[in-house]
Formats: sequence, C-alpha cells, structure tokens
Amino acid sequence: MTKVEEIVSHLPMQPLDDPIPVGQLYFPDWCDYEQAMRGIFEREYYNNNGPLVTALEKQLENFLNVKHAICVSNATHGLMIAAQAMELTGKVILPAHTFIASAQSLLWCGLTPVFCDVQKDGHHIDSTKLEALITDDVSAIMAVNLWGGAADIDALEKMASKHDIKLYFDSAQAFGCEYQGKKVGGFGDVEVFSLHATKVLSAGEGGLICTNNDELANKIRSIRPSYGNFEKVAIEKVANSRMSEAQAAVALLNLKSYKDYQRNNENIYNLYSKRLSSIPGISIVNPEGVTLSNFQSLVCSVDEEKFGCSRDDLLNILKHFSVLARRYFYPGVHKTVDFEHYGYKLPNTDRLSNVAIQLPIGAQVEKDVVNFICDVIAQTHEKSLCHG
Amino acid sequence: MNKKTSEELAVFGGRPIFEEFKSTSNLLKPDVEKFLNYSKTFYAQKHYTNNGPNVRLLESRLASFHNTKHCVSFSSGFWALALVIKVLAKPGKTEVILPSLTYRRMTDMIAWLGLTPHFCEVDEETLAMCPSSVKSCVNENTAVILGVHPIVNCSDVESLELIANECEIPLVFDSVESVYESIDAGKIGAFGEAECFSLHACKLFNGFGGGYLTTNNSELAKQLSSMRTFGFVGPDNIEYSHGVNAKLNEMHACMALASLDDIDAQVADNKARYYQYRKGLASLKGFSLLEFDEAFDSGFKNIVARISDAWPFSRDETVRILNAERVLARAHYDPPLHTKLNDNEYLACDLSLTESLATQFINLPCGQKVSCDDIEKIIDLLRFIENNADQIKQLMPRMTEHD
Repeated sequence: MTKVEEIVSHLPMQPLDDPIPVGQLYFPDWCDYEQAMRGIFEREYYNNNGPLVTALEKQLENFLNVKHAICVSNATHGLMIAAQAMELTGKVILPAHTFIASAQSLLWCGLTPVFCDVQKDGHHIDSTKLEALITDDVSAIMAVNLWGGAADIDALEKMASKHDIKLYFDSAQAFGCEYQGKKVGGFGDVEVFSLHATKVLSAGEGGLICTNNDELANKIRSIRPSYGNFEKVAIEKVANSRMSEAQAAVALLNLKSYKDYQRNNENIYNLYSKRLSSIPGISIVNPEGVTLSNFQSLVCSVDEEKFGCSRDDLLNILKHFSVLARRYFYPGVHKTVDFEHYGYKLPNTDRLSNVAIQLPIGAQVEKDVVNFICDVIAQTHEKSLCHG
Repeated sequence: MNKKTSEELAVFGGRPIFEEFKSTSNLLKPDVEKFLNYSKTFYAQKHYTNNGPNVRLLESRLASFHNTKHCVSFSSGFWALALVIKVLAKPGKTEVILPSLTYRRMTDMIAWLGLTPHFCEVDEETLAMCPSSVKSCVNENTAVILGVHPIVNCSDVESLELIANECEIPLVFDSVESVYESIDAGKIGAFGEAECFSLHACKLFNGFGGGYLTTNNSELAKQLSSMRTFGFVGPDNIEYSHGVNAKLNEMHACMALASLDDIDAQVADNKARYYQYRKGLASLKGFSLLEFDEAFDSGFKNIVARISDAWPFSRDETVRILNAERVLARAHYDPPLHTKLNDNEYLACDLSLTESLATQFINLPCGQKVSCDDIEKIIDLLRFIENNADQIKQLMPRMTEHD
C-alpha cells in the first residue's frame, strides 16, 4: 500500500459527489445568458467587432481607467499581438514561474525568452536580478502578475526606463487588482488579461489588451484585426483573433457581477486562511504587492517536513476526494519541451514548482466545500504524522 | 426597381434600392432554440471551454459529415491552418506553395510560421490552382503545398495529390469554402494530409467564429489537439513544441452544431438563390456566372461572376455603382496577394493571368439575408445599368462626389 492509499484509508470522509476544479468558473445566470444570446440572434451580428464587443471595450476602459481596452479571442493571442505591436526583437526577459503561454507567445513571435528567477520570498519576477540579464539584444521585459497579486511594478518601470526597453505585463490573473490604489491595466506599455473561464472575469474564452498609448492601440487593433473607427496602420501581419459577440455578451454580464465575484472570492480566501493557518507546514500565499486583490487563486506551499507528506501526495489525496487541486506551475517553464535545452538554473522557481499547490476557489466553492477541503488537509497532516 | 433615370442611381445621389445592406457574407442564422438547447449541456456541466461536451460532439459530427476519422476544432480556420502547416512543414524547408488569387489573410498566416509564400498560377476558367504551375514551383526549399480550393467548385485534388506524392511534399487543403462539396473521389475533408475549414459567421457553418480540421492521420490529430491547448497531453505534461491557445469554446461549438443541424435546408435555399442568379445573369451581356458543377454535391454558397469586355463598365466601376445601392458586391480576390508584398517577401511563377483575372470577377450578395426577390432586384438593377450605360458613363465624373 502506498503512503497515499494508507492515509486515504484512514480518513473518515467520503469523496464529494461532483469533482471541484480550481476555479474560477463564474458564469451568468441562465436567464441572462438566454436573453443576451437571443439579442445576438435578433441583431444577426455575430462577430467582427459588433455592438457587444464595442460596449465591452468601452466598459472595460472605464473600469480599468485605461485609454484603450481591446478584446481578442484569448490572452495568448493577446500577448502575441502585443509583442508584434511593440515590434519587439531579439530577447525578452520573463519569469519561468508562469503559465506556459507567456513563453509560447514569444516563440510564435520569433523572440527568445530569457528566464529570470522569482523572488526568494515571493512568486513574482525578482527585479534585483533583472539588470544582469539586460543585454543589447533584449528588447523588453514581460512581467507576470500572479495569484491576485502583482510584481514590483515600480522597480520594473524604473528598470525598463533606465535601459530604454519595453515593459509589458502578462496580467492574465490580475483583472480587478489594484497596485498602489490604481487598477492594474495601465502599467508598462501594454497589459494583457485573460478572460478564460478560469479567470475572475470570464468570456468563456477571451483576452484583453490594454494600453494608454494611442499609436500602439492602433497597431493592436490593426493586428487583431478590426473594423470600425480607428486609424489603420501598416503592420507586418494580422492575427485573426477577434472576440465574438457571444464571448462579449458573457463578459459583459460577468463584469456587472464582478464585485460580487471578488467579494465571494475574498470570503472563501478568508475562510481558507482561517482554517489552514493552524495546520503545520501549510502556508497560504497572500496576494503580493497589491492594495486590492481579486483573490483569483488560492495557492499554498507545502513544507513536507512540517506537514508530514509531500505536495504531490497531498494532491493525490485531495484528488481521491474529488478535489481537483493543481500544482501550478509544474514544472517551471524553463524545464518544458521548448525551453529545457537552454539549461537555466532557477532555484527559487524550482523550489516553488515543488511546493506550490492551488486549491479550489470561485463559483463552485461553497463554504462547506472549503471546510471539507480543509478537513481533508488537516486530517492528512494528522494521519501523516501517525503513519509517516 | 423603381429607378427611371440614371440620375436616380444612388451613386449619383439617388435613393438606394435596398434599405438594408445586402452582403456577400453568408450570415447563416441557425435556430436559436437549438443553439440554446446545446448551451444547456455545457451550462449544466459548468464546462465552458477546454474540450467541453459540445466541442466533442461537434468534432464527432463533423468527422462523420466529412467521412474522416478525425476532426479537431480550433478558435479559427486561420490558426487551424497555421498549426497544421507548423507540424507538417518539411524540416528546414522554407516555402509554402499556394495561389496568389485567394483569401487576403493567407500570407499573414504564413508569416506567423516564418515561412515564405511561393505563388502558383490558377486556371483561367475554374480559378483553381493549376497543377502544372504547382509542379513548376516545387523546388528543394518547398515545405508544404497549400491546396486552396476556389470559392466555387474544387481544385484538381487528384493532380495535386499526385504531385505531392511524387515530390514527397506534404499537401494540406484550405477547404474553407468547400464544406459541402464532393469530387469524384468522395467528400471534401479526407484529402491530402488534412483539410481546414472555417466556422466564422460568414461561412456555411456559422460558429460565431472558429475553425476545424479533418484528417485520417491519427497521430496528426492527436498532436494538433494538444498543440491547440498549449501542447498539453496531461495536467502538467507538455509534449509538443510550439503550443498555443487555439481552442474552440463551448458557445461557439453550440452555434456550429445548430448550424450543422440546419445545413441541408440552408443548402437548398442557397441553390434556389444560385438558380435565381443563373437565370437572371444569363440575360446580361458580358456578365457570366461561374457555375457550380452539379454532377457533385455543392453548397451553392458563393455567387461569383466574370465581367468581360462586353459589359459596359469595368468590374471596379460596377462594384462602386452596386455598393452605392447597398448591394455590397465585392471585387473577387483583388488585389492578388503577391501585389501586396515586397519583392523580397515571396517567390512566384509568372502570375500575369492571376493579375488579369483579379480585375475581372465580382462576388455578388448571397446567403440567408438575401432573398430571391432581392436577387431579382439586383438583376433588374444590373439590367438597368446595362440599358442606360451611355448615360451613366456621361454622368460618371459625378460618381466620386456621391460615393
């Protein structure tokens, strides 16, 4: 019998009836969805920058207080379009503790990623390590805002300015967060959000590119490409990455409920925090560097020695109980198929990829589900000590 | 049509013959109840994207529709093509053979792959890529042959397959406008290594947006299914290089399924529209319809006509006059792709025929929002233009101010 099987055999609870994914999975009520879809069918305007996409972009500009919010079919395309619009060349510095799409977007643009380690005591790019990586052929820094937190934006902006290189943010997870009281979205040259179903603002699938730079916005709209009123500019190639009216309809409805979603996430986060803080070896990652978080992700680190079993064992135990926790990001991007041959040594990234676990938060997580998950974790700790 | 004098043409300030624009986009409107019924499945399962229940159902039904082993859906036809060429391009080779008289975004797609277009010539009568020209373009740098079907009827699939086999070069079809078509050897979808289709709202299957690929190559289908989802083959395992997000979401899959449910009725309506045009255009001198080959299945979606010297106006003049009347006729694949690139960005054989053909053809309004009565009005308008050609020509200097 494996250690996981042994611990599971000693836990008294039964698996949940329905598997619980990590989240966010907010979606409008059926009645609102049906009404919005019937409206699209009545207008017979399905794609190509229709009225709902236009309305969504306007509302997002107001919500995020940015000059230009440009919706695209997904955030990976958003990052690719941003890199094209900024005419990046050569190398781009980014963390390896990120979702694979950050680095893949560079490959598709013919750019070479330069991986920077994350902070020793945090999950974001270590701005103190940047300068040593900035060579003549580096054209940009892509910082990543993770887990409802943000990177050290001030330091990054200073560094980019000092070296006259572009700075853009993969803010896939950061919609609604505030940095020093200002909404994430208007920092650097460009920010890209994800409107994927797993994000706090969902369009089912979707992406959002924000900038305060008029010239860049025209390029981004041309690359997307777009119809409507904007100055079309010469570009190298389009990306065929428009958001449909159906995607926009869902995002508009979700945007209306954003405050409720954020509050719900925060309540779940607080309950997790209260319950897990007393379990040795489990540490919740607090939203880093922000004055307001969307509490998009509930991430913990597992100290095997103190907790009694490894992160991977805990993951499998939770899976047995239909809790679909994930080990984000494992492995670090620098160790995946397209990048492992670079041979990067990133000790902080490697450490995080071996201890971080993401727990469910969002639409499908009721208070009793949080308590159930925390019970499983607490009792796993107790049984691990007994059976370790 | 109620125009009595040439001055009443909208291009000279008169009232357009249509209140609503009549476009060349298909804009199929499937049954909203069917769409909502499909939506209930993903809503109940809370599965909004990432290979959800409707995406799986759509792929299975499209594979059956095209008589292929596999169908893989994508966020667009553009990215379906980009990914399959990424996989199939011969290692170290740089050129993609395709026609220049084709969809305006094709070279953009090739540019994302870092490859170079090598343009072949097309056939004067069918507008399909000319096999002998394709063969002349094959060289030691050829990575892929992109067999693009024209928007009326199909390319010479058999000849293209022969060339591809003989030269050992992968052949991929862009079959975006050939969803419903068949050829001697069977239904479009199973030829070459793979065939790519679009689910954009203007196509035969309206999926809001999206695309799909059909193939009988199981390994290719597996790899592309993974690459459209960042290359993942398990929760933490990335097996394939150059993944990206090119997934179709559930709402779009529901729309495509509802479109698929309606397809036979839509094709019957398209056929009626096509017949209406055929009858009407036959009476116009110098305006000849590109006819569908009715020996095989056809979607009858696109209406393309050649404007010859016997017609009193150039193609572009005709487009301007029609557009002013809210008849959104379009120049057919003009300008050809090679004319939009710098000389160092492409290779080509002699494309003088392509350049000439690009000035001759016109796409006329089609699809669900164009009724047979509308077509009658369009034909009447064209007849009016023909009958009043001399007077219209005299007035033409006034066109610009009213455009």
